[in-house]
Amino acid sequence: MIEARDISVTIGGKRIVSHVDFTARPGEVSAIVGPNGSGKTTLLKALTGELAYTGTVTLNGRDLSAMKAVEVATLRAVLPQATALSFPFTVREIVRLGLIGGRPGVLPGEDARLPERALARVDLDGFAGRFYQELSGGEQQRVQLARVLCQVWAPVLEGRPRCLFLDEPVSSLDVKHQLIIMNIARDFARRGGGVVAILHDLNLTAMYADRIFVLSRGQLAAAGAPADVLNDELIEKVFDCRLKVGALPEGSVPFVLPQSAA
Amino acid sequence: MAEQSIADVGRVMAAEGDRSARARVVIALLCLALTLSVFLSLTSGASDASAVRVIRDWFTGAIPADAALAARDRLIVYDIRMPRVLLGVLIGAALAVCGAVMQGLFRNPLADPGLIGVSAGSSLGAVAIIVLGTTWLAPVTLAFGTLALPLAAFFGGLLVTLLLYAIATRQGRTSVATMLLAGIAISALAMALTGIMIFMADDRQLRDLTFWQLGSLAGATWPKIGTVGPVIILALAAMPFLSRGLNALALGEATAGHLGIPVQRLKYTAIVGVSAAVGASVAVSGGIGFIGIVVPHVLRLAIGPDNRYLLPASALLGASLLLIADAVARTIVAPAELPIGIVTAVAGAPFFLWILLRKRGIIDL
Repeated sequence: MIEARDISVTIGGKRIVSHVDFTARPGEVSAIVGPNGSGKTTLLKALTGELAYTGTVTLNGRDLSAMKAVEVATLRAVLPQATALSFPFTVREIVRLGLIGGRPGVLPGEDARLPERALARVDLDGFAGRFYQELSGGEQQRVQLARVLCQVWAPVLEGRPRCLFLDEPVSSLDVKHQLIIMNIARDFARRGGGVVAILHDLNLTAMYADRIFVLSRGQLAAAGAPADVLNDELIEKVFDCRLKVGALPEGSVPFVLPQSAA
Repeated sequence: MAEQSIADVGRVMAAEGDRSARARVVIALLCLALTLSVFLSLTSGASDASAVRVIRDWFTGAIPADAALAARDRLIVYDIRMPRVLLGVLIGAALAVCGAVMQGLFRNPLADPGLIGVSAGSSLGAVAIIVLGTTWLAPVTLAFGTLALPLAAFFGGLLVTLLLYAIATRQGRTSVATMLLAGIAISALAMALTGIMIFMADDRQLRDLTFWQLGSLAGATWPKIGTVGPVIILALAAMPFLSRGLNALALGEATAGHLGIPVQRLKYTAIVGVSAAVGASVAVSGGIGFIGIVVPHVLRLAIGPDNRYLLPASALLGASLLLIADAVARTIVAPAELPIGIVTAVAGAPFFLWILLRKRGIIDL
């Protein structure tokens, strides 16, 4: 459980996030949405302790700033937007780095094959021996997700829920893999873990999120269940775009929604 | 090709993409290579002294027929070649490991202790003793004697590193980019000051300076090893504890932290260790280039960038290569000898370029 109160982040004299309250519950997918530059990633970095913030963040009831890196790493894993490497690591070597903290939450001996299992989950079976740098952006993103999954393989460890932080996990993926990744996130939550994801696709958000936090110019514009939050008025106010929620296109313009997935 | 068959062995034994079995084979081979290099270095040189004979006599306790010749041989082997070989092993290992650690820390395969100014600071300290040792710095040379130069080089390197660290650290976080840029500026300043001293130097000093700046193991003595050996051994012994952290750091500082690595402590340990080892190395052997960049680079191609294997393998290969380079430097123009820095640069630079051209696809600079 992540609980953040009155979070503000100032970078270079400019306030990027101001007075945001945020709660992510175990068993739920919490989505952060908002236009470019609204402070989504900055908020996520404050919640993971990567950026200095004012206010309080607690992880399972304990103050994040008072916890050691090792302790925090057993309770949550973080997927950044993109990760560039300058050394020729193989895919397996990268995924294995997720096991560095040593608490994946599997039976002893099972962790040796965990990289392969994680790769299979993100639909990268057979990629273990490839060089990371030779993969496409979307494939690299899935390799990183496999690494993150290794770190917190069991969503609950010793009775304590663990959390996945995902910064735009599907932004560079094709539609098939968008669904695979979002299903992994939902599955993680169903088995008792918490998921905090920054998303851009409002349809995917509506489909997968249990709770949405809408950011606008660094402030919380709305928070709640998708059905309560996503309405015409909010979209126009926050995204500066006159769109109708739930309206079908006229005539014969084709449209494909993730919700139609069989 | 031998390398290819090793690769095949590794592939059969381990999971796909796991190069650790292959790395172990390579490390075993490098141990063998180092043993051979040590033997080669002990037995070759400008004189016809036979290390084999000396060692055999020592073991069997036999009394040699020609006592004077045997005494000379013992002197050459025990007091000239052995300290030199030991120094070569220490410095070769230190330069290669420090290169690998710096590259891991800066997440850049081109990073090198020479790059962030540690070597330049050490050079300045040493040059100051050579040029000003009889005038302004006379008290220092008087107090420390022959150890004044190594100590000055060591403290020059350490001073630069502490200065860099102070500049690049704000609120407990060290910015690698700031440190790199500050290192370039401090390097330039140290080199300019060195230049002023070269300008002030007389002819004899100039020859000393040039020889030292090109690098050489010629000054190896047991007392010098007694001074720098413990520093280098301590620094190298700390490095394996950094390997997991350096692996995680390849993903970026933030991600390393998310994986549970205490990033600040890792960076601090790496920086202090590297400056101590490099300062000590430069102090006794001058500037020996390319070991720190070529060795880790070649090994990354062979066994991958996993520092758990890269660091020990670098130590072994760096030591072997420096011994071989030193053997070449001692024998190619015997009885004179070439500065070893020339040998490592002449062999290392073209080799490095060749690797870059051949493997450009995988190594993204």
